[in-house]
Amino acid sequence: MVKHKIVVVNPEGLHLRPAGVFAQEMDKFECDVFIRFKGTKVNGKSLLSILAACIKCGSEIDIECDGPDELEAIAKAVELIENRFEGV
Amino acid sequence: MITGTGVSGGIGIGRIRIVKEQKIVYERRRIRDTEKEIQRLRSAVGSFVKVTEELAEKLESEAGQKEAEIIRGHILIMKDPVLTDEIEKLIKGGECAESAVEQICNMFISVFSAREDELTKQRASDLEDLKIRMIKHLIGLDETVLSSLPPDTIICAKELTPSMTAGMDKKNVVGFITEKGGETSHCAIIARALEIPAVLGANGIMQLAKNGQTAVLDGISGKIVLSPDGDTLFEYEEKKKRFDEKAELLKNYRGKPTEDSDGRQYSILCNVGNSQDVDKVISGDGEGIGLFRTEFMFMDRKAPPSEEEQFEVYRAAALKMQGRPVVIRTLDIGGDKDVPYLEIKEEDNPFLGVRAVRYCMKHPEILKEQLRAILRASAYGDVKILVPMIADLSELMFVKKMTAEAEKELEAEGIDFCRNIDIGVMIETPSACVIADLLARESDFFSIGTNDLIQYTMAADRGNSDVSYLYSVFKPSVLRSVMHIIRAAKRAGIPVEMCGEAAANRLMTPLLLSFGLDKFSVSPSSVLSIRKEISSYTKDQADKIREAVMEMTASEEIITYLKSELDKYADD
Repeated sequence: MVKHKIVVVNPEGLHLRPAGVFAQEMDKFECDVFIRFKGTKVNGKSLLSILAACIKCGSEIDIECDGPDELEAIAKAVELIENRFEGV
Repeated sequence: MITGTGVSGGIGIGRIRIVKEQKIVYERRRIRDTEKEIQRLRSAVGSFVKVTEELAEKLESEAGQKEAEIIRGHILIMKDPVLTDEIEKLIKGGECAESAVEQICNMFISVFSAREDELTKQRASDLEDLKIRMIKHLIGLDETVLSSLPPDTIICAKELTPSMTAGMDKKNVVGFITEKGGETSHCAIIARALEIPAVLGANGIMQLAKNGQTAVLDGISGKIVLSPDGDTLFEYEEKKKRFDEKAELLKNYRGKPTEDSDGRQYSILCNVGNSQDVDKVISGDGEGIGLFRTEFMFMDRKAPPSEEEQFEVYRAAALKMQGRPVVIRTLDIGGDKDVPYLEIKEEDNPFLGVRAVRYCMKHPEILKEQLRAILRASAYGDVKILVPMIADLSELMFVKKMTAEAEKELEAEGIDFCRNIDIGVMIETPSACVIADLLARESDFFSIGTNDLIQYTMAADRGNSDVSYLYSVFKPSVLRSVMHIIRAAKRAGIPVEMCGEAAANRLMTPLLLSFGLDKFSVSPSSVLSIRKEISSYTKDQADKIREAVMEMTASEEIITYLKSELDKYADD
C-alpha cells in the first residue's frame, strides 16, 4: 500500500466537477483508492462518497492506494490535485 | 408585498407562471426475474445519460460551460459505481428498479442534508432532482416541461431544479421567484449566468401568486409586488431602465485593469469578513483582499478559534486568491465588538480603551496564535499582516517582535511559511496620522481606516445623531489627514491603501487619485463602479479638483462642488 499527504489547492475544493473527475480517473485503476480526511475514510472511486466528506480548498487529505497498479494510481491522484483538475 | 433574498440583480416585470412538480406514482412490486429488472435499470440509465447530455449542451449554449456542469453532474453521479452497485444490490433482493433508486438516493440525500457545508447541502437537492428524473425515465414519463413559454414570464415555484431550468424556454423568462433556495443554489447560479432577476426564499409566494397575475420583482432588494398599481408599475419600469443601462456599462469594466485616463495603474481590492465573502471577491472581479476582518471568526462562540482552524480559513483565502494579495487584519476586538469569553473589562470609554492591538498586547498568547496561523498561510499565497488601532510606534514594534518570535518557532518546528512577510499599519487614529513619517520607517504598507479616523479626528461618536453633523469624511481636517497620510507613505516609498467606506465613495475618487492612493479596498459589489470612476479622470483633472477642494472651508461646500464635478465626468 502507498500513501501520500496533500493539500487540496483548487478554489472550489473537492466539489462536484473536481470530485467527479477524480473518481472517474481513479476508477480506471485496478487498485483500491481511499481518501482519509478528518478521521473518515472514503472510497476514492465514488463521487458521492467524496462529496459527503466535504473536502474544501485548503483541506489536507491523505490518499491511499492499495493494489497491483498502486504507484501509477497515486501518481495520477497527486497530479490531478496539484494541477487543480485542469487539463483533464 | 413579499420579500425574499435577491440573488440575481435587476428588475423583472411580467406575468406569473406557477410551476408545480409532477406527481410521480409507481407501484412497488416484488421482482422475480431480477436479471431482467437490472437490464431495465441499465437501459433507463442509458436514456437518462443521453437526455442529460442533450440538456447540458442546450444549457451550455445558453448560459455557458460552468452552468452546464451542474446538470452534467447528474451524469457523473449516475456513473458512481457505489451508487449503481447499491441500487442493483436491492434489485437482486427483489425490489423493483423504481423503489431501489428511490431508497438508495434517499440514503445519500439524508447524508448530504446533515452536513453543515452549504455546497454539500446543495448536492442533496441535486440528488433529489436526479432521483425524480431517474424514476421518470423508468416509468416512461416525459420530463421536458416549460419548453415553450409566452414572453415576459415570471417563473414561480417551490424550488427550481437543474432539470426544470435546463429544458426551459429561458429567452421569455424575465424573473424567477422560489420559496426555497439561496445565494448558492442552482437557480441562483443559472439566473446570474443568464442575467435574469431572481428572488429566492420568498416564503408563502406559492399560496399568494396566481397564474397570469402581473408582478414585479427586484433581484437586489428581494422585493416582490403582486398585481402592482399603476404608480408602482411605473416606478419599477423606471428602476429597470436605470439598472439595465448601468449593468451594460459596468460589464465593460469586468476583467479589465484599473487605470485612470492617463493609464496610471491602481488596484481595487475587497473587504471580507468570512470565507463566503472570499467567493464574492472572485465574482465581483476584485483584485485581491485588502482587508480580511478576523474578528467575526472570534464572535458567536465560546472559545477562540484554534491556530489550526484559523490557518485553514486563511490558507483557503490565500489559495482562492491565486497569488493576488490577501491582507489579514489582526484581531480588532473591543470598542463596540464585545466577545464574552475574551473577558474584556467594562470600560467607561470603550472606544478609548483596550481595543484591537491594545487588547492583543495584554493577551500576547492570542496574538501569537493568530500570527502563527497567518504566517503558515503565507506559504500558500501573497499574505500580509495588518495591525489595527496603532497610536504609538511601540505597539507596532511589539507586533513585529511577536511576529519574529512566531517565525522562529515555526522555523524550529520545520513548518513552512513565507519569510519577510509584509507588516502594515492601519492608520485610523489622529496620533498615527501625525507620526505617519515615523511609522512608515517601520511599516511595509499603510491602510487608511476612514471610519475610525473620522470618529477620532472629529471627536464625534458616529452613532450619536446629535453630533452626526461632524461625522463626515469631507471635513477639511479629515481630508487633510488623509492627504498627509498618503504623502507620508509616498515619501517613505511604501504603498498605501484605503479600506474604509470612503474608498467606495465616488465623490472621493478624484481626491484619492490626486493624493496618490495606490489601492482601494471596497465591498465586492463596488469594484466595477469604482474601477469605472477611476478611469474617468486624468491626473490633471483630479489635481484641479483637489486644489479647489483644499481651498474650501466647509464640508457642505465641498460636497456640492464634488457632486457638480461628478456630473461633469461621469457618463451616467
